[in-house]
Parts: sequence; C-alpha cells; structure tokens
Amino acid sequence: MLTILFIKTTMKNLTTKILQHSKAIMVLTMLLTVLSVWVLVNKVYIETDLDEYMPHEHPSFAYSDWAEEQFDIRDAIVIAIENKNGVYNPATLQKVKGLTKALGKMKEIRKSDITSLYTADNIRGSVEGLEIDAFYKRVPKSDDKLKSLAKAVATNDMVHGRIVSEDQTATLIITKLDDNVFSEDFYEAIIKLSKEYEGDGDVLYVAGQPIIEGTMAILMPKDMKTMLPIVMLLIIVVLMMVLKSIKATVLTMVVVLVSSIWSFAIMAAMGIPIYAVTTLIPVLLIAIGVADGIHMFSHLQLYMRKNKNASKEDKISNMVAEMWKPVTMTSVTTAVGFLSLLTSEVYPIKYFAVFAALGVMFAMLLSLVIIPAGAMLFGLPKVKHQEENAKKEDAFANWAGWFALKITRYKTAFIIWTILLVIFFGYGASKVWINSSFLERFPDSNPIVQTDAFVNDKFMGTTSINVILEGKEADAFKSPEVLKLSEKMMNETIAKFDAIGGGISINDFLKRMNKVLNEDREEFNTIPDNSDLIAQYILLYEMSGDPDKLWEVVDSDFKTGNYNLQVKTDNSKTLEEILAHLETYKDDFKAIGVNLNFAGSGYTLLLFNNLIMEGQIKSLILSFFIVLILLGFMFKSWKVGLIGTIPIMITAVISFGVLGLLNIPLETTTALISSIAIGIGIDYAVHFIDRYKINALATGDKELTIMKTMAHSGRAISFNAIVVIAGFLVLLVSEFLPNQALGAIVSLNMFTSFIGTVTIMFIVLYMSNIYFTKKKK
Amino acid sequence: MKHLKVMSVMLIIAITTIVMPAKVQAQTGKEIAWKVYDRPSPKDGESDMTMTLINSKGKERVRYLHQFLKEYDEVEKKVMFFKAPADVKNTSFLNYSYDDDRDDDQWLYLPALKKVKRISGGSKDDYFMGSDFTYEDLEKRSPNKDVHKLLKSETLNGEQCYVIESTPKEEGQYSKRVAWVIKDKWIPLKIEFYDEDEELLKVLTIPEFKQLKGYWTVITQNMENVQRSHKTVIKLSNIELEKGLGDEKFTQRAMMKGL
Repeated sequence: MLTILFIKTTMKNLTTKILQHSKAIMVLTMLLTVLSVWVLVNKVYIETDLDEYMPHEHPSFAYSDWAEEQFDIRDAIVIAIENKNGVYNPATLQKVKGLTKALGKMKEIRKSDITSLYTADNIRGSVEGLEIDAFYKRVPKSDDKLKSLAKAVATNDMVHGRIVSEDQTATLIITKLDDNVFSEDFYEAIIKLSKEYEGDGDVLYVAGQPIIEGTMAILMPKDMKTMLPIVMLLIIVVLMMVLKSIKATVLTMVVVLVSSIWSFAIMAAMGIPIYAVTTLIPVLLIAIGVADGIHMFSHLQLYMRKNKNASKEDKISNMVAEMWKPVTMTSVTTAVGFLSLLTSEVYPIKYFAVFAALGVMFAMLLSLVIIPAGAMLFGLPKVKHQEENAKKEDAFANWAGWFALKITRYKTAFIIWTILLVIFFGYGASKVWINSSFLERFPDSNPIVQTDAFVNDKFMGTTSINVILEGKEADAFKSPEVLKLSEKMMNETIAKFDAIGGGISINDFLKRMNKVLNEDREEFNTIPDNSDLIAQYILLYEMSGDPDKLWEVVDSDFKTGNYNLQVKTDNSKTLEEILAHLETYKDDFKAIGVNLNFAGSGYTLLLFNNLIMEGQIKSLILSFFIVLILLGFMFKSWKVGLIGTIPIMITAVISFGVLGLLNIPLETTTALISSIAIGIGIDYAVHFIDRYKINALATGDKELTIMKTMAHSGRAISFNAIVVIAGFLVLLVSEFLPNQALGAIVSLNMFTSFIGTVTIMFIVLYMSNIYFTKKKK
Repeated sequence: MKHLKVMSVMLIIAITTIVMPAKVQAQTGKEIAWKVYDRPSPKDGESDMTMTLINSKGKERVRYLHQFLKEYDEVEKKVMFFKAPADVKNTSFLNYSYDDDRDDDQWLYLPALKKVKRISGGSKDDYFMGSDFTYEDLEKRSPNKDVHKLLKSETLNGEQCYVIESTPKEEGQYSKRVAWVIKDKWIPLKIEFYDEDEELLKVLTIPEFKQLKGYWTVITQNMENVQRSHKTVIKLSNIELEKGLGDEKFTQRAMMKGL
C-alpha cells in the first residue's frame, strides 16, 4: 500500500514537473527526433538477401550450406525466350548467343555460371565413338543446319525439356548467382537487357528464385512505404471523428510517429539493417500506440465534461493520475508479447522483437509525457458543452449501460454461444497449414507469377530439391549397387509427383554415355553393371567434355552424389510430400552404407519456415503465460489474470480458425501477427478491468459498476477498435498478399478482442464477484 | 617549333640505328615466335607423367600415366596409358596431332568395354583430360597464325626474357597471349592467355626445365585458370629421348595391348 502511495505521489510530482517544463520537453523531443531522422537518413539500409535470415549454425542449414558449396548449388535466374513459331531460327539463336555473352559481361555474373543452348554440351554417339561439343558456335543459317540442330537437341535427354522446351517454342538461359549480388539495380539491369532482346516474334521472361525473393524483399518495404501514409491518413481521419479534436489527434499521431522514428534510429545506429519483417514495426506501432492516446484523451474528455470548472493543470493531472497505470500495464504486456519472439532462431525476428518492444516503450513514455506537455502547451482539446452534444454523450452512456445490463441478463446464452464459437473455430484452427511459398504471396496477376507459371509449364520447374547421398568412402558413386538404388529413387519419385518436372544426377551422365557408346541403342540407356566401366566412362567424359558440369552432380572422390529434382511449385504442402516420399528410401540407402540428406533452396526455405512456425508457437505459449503472470501480478489476483486472458484466447482461436476454415495458409507474416495479437489484444482487457476495479471499489454497487465501466472503458475501447480496424482495412488494397493478410488479421483480431472483452470477459468478470466479495468481508 | 620536333625525332632514329647492337635490333616479335617454334625437339621419347588437378577448394586428384611420343613429318603421334587410379588402369589414349588446321584424331580404349572409341575430334580449344590445358595449349602453334609484337625485355625467375604479345589473325579461343620467352633457350617461361573478352583467363608457368640429350625439355608445367581458380600440374619423370620407337606403338592394337 505504501509503495503504491509512493508511486502515486511520484507520478503526481512527475506530472507537475512535466507540466512546468512542457516547453523544454517538447523542444527536447523535437531535437531527439531530428537527430534520429539524421541517423536514419545516413545509416539505414535495407537487407534484401533472404539468406541473411537463415540460422546458419542450425545443423540442417549447416549441412545444406556444405552441400551447396560442395556441388556449387546456387539459385539461378532463368531467362526464357519464347517464339511461338519455334526457337530454331537464326534470329532467336542469335539472341541466345548474344544474351549469353551479354550476361557474361555483367559484373555480378561469372561467365562459367551461364547455361544456355549456346554453352551446353552435346554428348552424342558417332559411328566410331563419343562426341562432346557445343550445339552451335556460329549461328546456323541454312534450313538443313537448323533442322539438324533441332534433331540434336530432341534426341538429347540432358537438354531436351531442360534448356529447350519439348514443343520447341521456348529456350532457357540459366544463370547461377552468388549470394548477395542481387540488388534492385541488378534486377532492373536484367529486365532492361531482356527487353532489348525482344522482337522478331520473341518474347522474353525473367524468372527464378533470386527474382522472386529479390522482388519480395524489395516489394514488401516498397509496398509498406506506399501503404503506410494511407493507413496513417485513415487513422487520422477516424481519430478526428472519435476524438473530435485536432489537438488530440495530432498529439496522438506525434507519439506514434516519434516512437517509430526513435526505435528505427536506434536500430540503424547499431548497424542493423531493415529486413522485410521489421518494416512491419511502424504499422504495428500505429495500431498499438494510438490506444494510449485514445484512452487518455477519452478519459480527459469525460473528466472535463463533469468538471467544467477545474483548472487546466488539474484536468491534465487527473488524466495522468487515472490513466498512467493502465497505459503502463498495457504497454508492458504488449512489449512482453513482442519480446517472447526472442525465442525465435531467426535473427531478423529477434530484431523485430527487440525494436518493436522498444517502440512500444517509447510510445508509452511519450504518451505519458508528450500528451500532458502538449496539452499544457497547446491547450486542452475542446469539449463542446452544447446541450446537443451532452445529450449525445448521455445517450452513449445510457446505451452502454443498457448493453451492460442486457449482456449480464443473457449471460448463459453468451457463454454457450462463446463455447460453440470456440469449438467451431478451434476445429478450423486444427486445419491451419503452413505455406512457405514465396510465389503464392503475389497475386496471380503479378507478372512474376505469370512468368514463373510459363517457365514451370514449359520446362522442368524452377524450385529445386537436392537429395545428397553420402557414401562411407571414396568411389561409392562408381558402385552399380548405389547408383541403381538412386536411379530407382529418382524414377519412382519423378513418376509419383506430377509437380516434379525432372531431375539431374550422375546417373543421367552415365546412362547417356552408356547409350551413345553402345551404338545409341535405347536398351543401353541404363546404369552399367560394372564399376570399372563406370569409372572409365567418367574418365571418358572428363576427357571430352566440360568436367565442371560433372562436379555439380558428384564430388571428385565420388563419395557424395547430388541428386537434383526440379519442382514446378514452391508450395510447402507439395514440397513436404516429396521430401516425405524421399525419406522412405533412407533405410534402403543406410543398408548399403549411404546416408540420405537434403539441401538446396527449396528445402532450406521449407526448413526455415518450419523453424519460424515452431518459434511462433513457442512464443505464443510463452507470451500467453507471461501475460497471465503479469496480469495476476498487476491486479494481485490470479483469478483476474485468468479472466483477462479470455479475450486473447478467443482471439487466437478465431484468428487461426478463420485461416483454417478459409484454407488460407500461415506464412511468416501472418504467423508473426497472430502471436503479436496477444500482446495487443490484452490491452482492452487491461483497460476494462482497471476501470471496473476503480468503479467497483468506489461504488460498491455491481450494477452501477458495470454500467459506468461500459460507459467509460467501453467508450475508449470501441474508439480504439474503430480507429485501428479502419486504418488496417486499408491494407486490403495492397498489391502484396502478406500485407493484405496483415490488414485483415489485425482488423479481425482487434474486432474479436474488443467484442470478447465487452461480452464474455465482462460476463465472467461480473459473475466472479471479484472486487465485491472483498468488500463484503 | 614544328621543325624542332621533326628534327629531334629524326635524331633519335639516327642514334638508335647507329648505337643499338645489330643482334638485339634483329629480334622482332615475329622472329622470337619463330625461334620458339623452331626450337629443336627429339624425334621420339617416352616418360612417366603425373597429372595433378587441383580444384578451387584445393582438393587434388592425381593421375599416373606413361606416355610415348613420336614426331612424323606432318603429324605428331602420342599414346598414353593410365597406371592409376586402379579403376581406369590400362585405359589408353591415342592422339594424332596434325601440323595443319585439321582437328586432332583421338581414340580412347576402355578396358571394361573392351572397345577402342574415337572421341570428340575435339576442336583444339577442348580441355585435355579435364585439365586446364586445351589441346592447343599442349601443341606448337604456327607463328603464321598470329601477329607478334615485342613488348619489352625483362628478367623473370633469374632468366632474361623477351615479352611478346601474340594476337591471332583469325578469331580463336584466345584474344591474345603474352609470353615470357627465355633469351637463347627459346622456352616460354610464362604465358598469359586472355579470353575473348580480353580478360585474363589462364596463366602457364614452367617451374622446371632441363637440357636432355641436347634438347631443352620442360619437366613441370603449371596451368592455372584464374577465372575458375582451377589448376593443373603436369610433371614428367623417367624421361628417355631418341629411343627409336617403332610405328606399331602408335596404333589401336597397341592401345589394347597395354603397357
């Protein structure tokens, strides 16, 4: 009791100090903000390389990194040239050659990383032996030469369907990229280059994982940049409507903006770049931060109406004295909700957690300092004292009171309905699935989706899974036993999944050589039975072809093989099914001393997303318990703590339930928001319970308490919900699906938290008799 | 002013013509190239050969071979037998390299297949046995095919060298080569190869050479592909020259017979 008294007096003293030095505080805030903007302008940069997100110390990632290094597995940019009349004409072939050379001249690209019809090896049999050479050096002009080129490709399984589409209307130029060379400029340069080669019936498409990832990493912050002002504008408009005061609106927005700027400036000063995830911080801080201002001004307005003659200082002091506690409590619970994300293994998410929490703390501090100081300096928001307005307010109070009474009367029905809803959405939540597809985050009309669809339709697929088979000792991949099992695995897997376009491995080289060295007879399109013969074939290949191609499928000791599968989708469900099928060969390989593992971007992306989801679930549970403990501690009652978590539990169930029922997969952004919703959703309950407690202790009358609480807190909460929901619904027009989802989920969560607080939580609070039983004692 | 300039140029020309020793003055780039080309070489020979391939990660693969070589008027014949690794033992390789522009003829005998196979008539720019040497790199190139320019003279590894730049008259696999040729031995101690975009592609260095039976013979040569950071070292040992090897050594029948 003494400590509370002490805190109360300190807060009062602090407020007095703030009011005395309001000018200095405003100037100091401004200076700090100017400094922050300076830091931001000079130090901030955006990280577009998704690889930076990966926890490289994680064993599965470390293994994949090793395999990627070993076999030079890298993501590639794929440029497709389509000519409806067929690609075997001098103009198109000239373009393949020209584009191959032009790409090789770009500083981001190494010449040896480009594969096209111009650079590909043509392994073929001749009457006497083996020939490995280029398909063409000089562009063939005569019909005969063009026809023989077409035939050479059509009879070579290693090129046919891979570099030239089976219907001969499209051909690919595949360029492997190093990590972190992708930039907006590079992307623009590639697009510009490919545009230059259009014409003569040729249409060019640019696709591939680096393009998708890069576009996403560039588009997400960009989209956020265009959406943020619209969200802000709408929130300002709605704030104006509910608070009916320019001053209050401006001060509330200043708090939110300054806290975002400070938080980002500290991040930039520490040398941490902006990741796609952290671009969510400003928009989230707006949603959370405005709540403090709304509750404070809402209280101030109610107080001013009742105490018309109180001094300016008194009015402001009362606002701080009455509201500092719920504002602090809600901010702490929200910050804890964010900080629970520190359990994630993904660094950008950890940064997100820290700087979002910091922003929330800034918003709290600024609300408690800038709002009183600003109100002191610029004057209180006007409260219209006209009859009409007072009537309106009274009408709201009456309505709120009526609502409170009605709800308590039909409490059983409400409880039953809530239980039914929880069961219904709980069932939906059980159907939620995770999708790590990047492509599916773009709307179907986006050119990147259409390009990818084109390439996937004509060729083997743009997503790769690499099965890494590791023998115990050197020359394992010259053993017919190992090779034949791997061939079985490849054939069965490719046959089982329509989504797999094909694959490439050492087997393809050996089969091709075996065939062409046996007079091109199809029955020799198999793995030879003799390991010496296999070794000699490989030597023969090395002596006649480009051995670097070989080292992409097997290591030079022949201990480890890289079995690549090309998949036509990056949909997580499909990838998971393929991986699960491949896993079934693990034991067979183990029996012959070979370990089976996975690598490649398709795999690591899946792994990465699963890791994020795992982290989300952990942090969801963790934040739930921390919030429970915090509430119990704040209200000094576990019972109240439990009651306070009711709205967020319902919010979480409904949020996941809607996703499940509508078959919308979880992806990183939506998952992140769902768990953050706990931290935000709890605020309504905190404000409501705090006011309920104050009213209960003041009146001792249950009916009066519920009516007054609903009129006071219910008012502020509904204002808050309306502002945030309206602001976030704007994101539904975003071009970027995760941002749309963000808008929908935040709106939905705010709505359910709000409804949950004023209905079911309210009922349980009412039925619990808490704060009244104590008095009776 | 103009007069003065012309005068001074004339004076310089006059002085250099008189002062420079006749011998040095005679060495144009073209002459140096011809000296290298015409350097006497043995009629035939055999040796052990170790070929070490080193990839960008520093991983080495070693092949042990034994080779026979014989010079004819218009063709150079070469046969190589693999001694190790075991799974390619007795695999043999026969190569006829013609002095004119014709592609090499080459055959490989695979003991496991028990067949001699003709392989890629290979343009001269194909890599030899998956090494960093192309066939052309291992052969003598007629100086007639290039335009040669003497860039400078300098000392390399303690040897006095001419540095000549050779640019092909017709488009080839290299845009140019720059060679450091040892004065009076006419061995190129180092050659830089530039790709079609005139970027440095490969560097050949000769760390070991000696005179055997009066012939300057290269013992060890390193070829490094700087673009792929891949390296090949070829080292000869047990060299025997002028043995009077018979023609039957260089036939498909001999390939199948083995060493």
